[in-house]
Amino acid sequence: MFLRARAPGEIFSAGELAALEGLALIVLPSSLGSGGSKNVADEFSMYVRDYRAGADTEHGYGVTRVAPKPQSPARRYAEQLRALPSPLTPAGVQQALAQAGVKELPRLPDGKNVIVDLMTFYFRSGEANDLCYRAAIERNKCRGLAGSDHPPAALQEPF
Amino acid sequence: MAVLESDICIIGGGISAAMLAQKLLELRPSASINVVEAGRRLFDLEHRMRYRRRSLIYGENAWPGDFIEDQKAAGVISRTMAVGGSALHWGGTCNRFSEEDLRLKSKYGLYVDWPIEWKELEHFYCEAERRLGVSGEPSPLPEDWRSEPYPMSAMVLTHNLIELKKWGEKTGIPFWSTPQAKNTRPYDGRAQCIRCNTCAICPTGARYSPDFTYKQLLTHKNVQLYDRTLVRQLVLDRNKTRVAVARAVHRDRPEETIEFRAPLFVVAAGYTWSSHLLLLSRNTDFPNGLANRSGLVGRYMCGHAFTTAQIELDAKIYPGMNETHALISRQFFRCKPGDPYIRHDLRIWESAAGREPRLRNKDGEILLGDDLLGDWRKRSQRGAARVRGYYDVHPDRDSALTLDESTRNKWGDPLPKIEHKLDAATLSRQAGTRQHFHDLFERLAKNDNGKVLNISEGNYLDHPAGGCRMGNDPTASVCDSFGRTHDHENLFVVGSPTLPNAGCTNGTLTFVALTLRSAEKIAAEVRKA
Repeated sequence: MFLRARAPGEIFSAGELAALEGLALIVLPSSLGSGGSKNVADEFSMYVRDYRAGADTEHGYGVTRVAPKPQSPARRYAEQLRALPSPLTPAGVQQALAQAGVKELPRLPDGKNVIVDLMTFYFRSGEANDLCYRAAIERNKCRGLAGSDHPPAALQEPF
Repeated sequence: MAVLESDICIIGGGISAAMLAQKLLELRPSASINVVEAGRRLFDLEHRMRYRRRSLIYGENAWPGDFIEDQKAAGVISRTMAVGGSALHWGGTCNRFSEEDLRLKSKYGLYVDWPIEWKELEHFYCEAERRLGVSGEPSPLPEDWRSEPYPMSAMVLTHNLIELKKWGEKTGIPFWSTPQAKNTRPYDGRAQCIRCNTCAICPTGARYSPDFTYKQLLTHKNVQLYDRTLVRQLVLDRNKTRVAVARAVHRDRPEETIEFRAPLFVVAAGYTWSSHLLLLSRNTDFPNGLANRSGLVGRYMCGHAFTTAQIELDAKIYPGMNETHALISRQFFRCKPGDPYIRHDLRIWESAAGREPRLRNKDGEILLGDDLLGDWRKRSQRGAARVRGYYDVHPDRDSALTLDESTRNKWGDPLPKIEHKLDAATLSRQAGTRQHFHDLFERLAKNDNGKVLNISEGNYLDHPAGGCRMGNDPTASVCDSFGRTHDHENLFVVGSPTLPNAGCTNGTLTFVALTLRSAEKIAAEVRKA
């Protein structure tokens, strides 16, 4: 995504990070492979590390008060990662989500549930959009105008 | 108390003020110009790629610091108060109104006519397009004649828009590229668009924003920009109707009053803060506010209504190719006198409606990994379009901006409250308008196995304007066609507040065109002064 070149911070303990990586293997597409899933988990860790509580959010017409970003989700995520069942299975993840009452993927991670936020972080990304369409749309990149009148190039398999 | 004198004092630092100052500097290079803006200057192009990234990932404000915490209002307002105004983060759409917008009374017996001829306004549209740097393709409709070509060729239609154009035109309605203030080649010292898909925060400067103009203006010694400086009141000369002083306060030095003195004052503070300042400037001779003998300051607040449909169809659409660019049709800008009155634009964007990744399938089962991806792919086989029409509605006199005495800023000034209200004739047309759009969306959906997924009606008036409407009759308007207020010979209002009605498409180009016309009159007044 945007954070790939940077190292993970100290947001999560080794155990929590391992749980996050295990979770990524279950909730992300298998075509990413274990390496790709680990990359997403690392990027998610960096997302949490670089989160800025209190930053102003977008504001449009009719917004009376500009809302600040809420507190960092790091502590809640860590607690939820430690509470994941072991061994972690797809059924266990589904049960955890059902118990949490999560209905849908938010537009952006909202800090409530680490499972759904990891899924949102990936599935709302330009990379996931490309994977869905099997094409290099590169929605969030600055790509130039040339060639945009043609369909985007097909992704190389496997996808 | 600081006293700052100039030949012209412009209050407000948005797109209209930028264009006005630029043209005045050209017409009267020896005149001194003070621009006073309550918000701060954001001349930070070098940071915008980072702001864009954080906006995408975290939903953070892509224009940090672009608002004033306690300078808020109730109603349809933009919180943005900064040098550049709302046009810092506009989409860059540069549609023209049509002659019908200026001739509602004489053509249709509705609302009012504008005190300006279309042919004259068209001349200033061309100038506005040159100054902003608009890329576009001419409308195929002869009624949309232009006296000059667009400064730049149109934004290339993406594969998605090419597909949607073919689909839309099967109805017999022509569609073409929406004109935009975005560079399709390097223009006016700014870069060519590189399709970042985030025009609200353009990280390269390819989409025009007024900060570029201000940076150029400030290289001239005769232009001074006073940002973070809130004008709280206009004060008249003793026993006269001329404005003598704009009394202001610097946000970092609230105890110090600053007086801006000039022979000419121009209020260019947008549709909210222009009327607000005039109302705040009430005195014993003008107890209802300056320029308000008509009682119409803050009245006839306008905008246009809109209806949107999401339509799926058999087409290979790749969401994300260029979501900020759209097709437009002006087929419905005209309405034959005697027919049911409805006038609107028609826009088509690529869409991912119904094609977003989802956590649960239609049976409520939770999807993970490959199952989620498979469900997403299955739903993405067909394409989708977002179709919107902005339609013409007319304000009631009581569509108003008023001073809300119960909400005040830190200086104790009551803040504005906007309540839009449509006139009776508009309300009587609502059912017919709704049916028209439903029929139109179904007509589009008949092609390529289309299906209307949903229709939604806007719950506010978009692209708002008004509050100081222009006219020839001082009892029925606040200012003349040049923005000179009827009550004060040296006080002008320019830009969005002067519009009697908001047409049926985006207004920014019209705000700028009218301002450029006003600039010539104001320049002539500078010479006299």
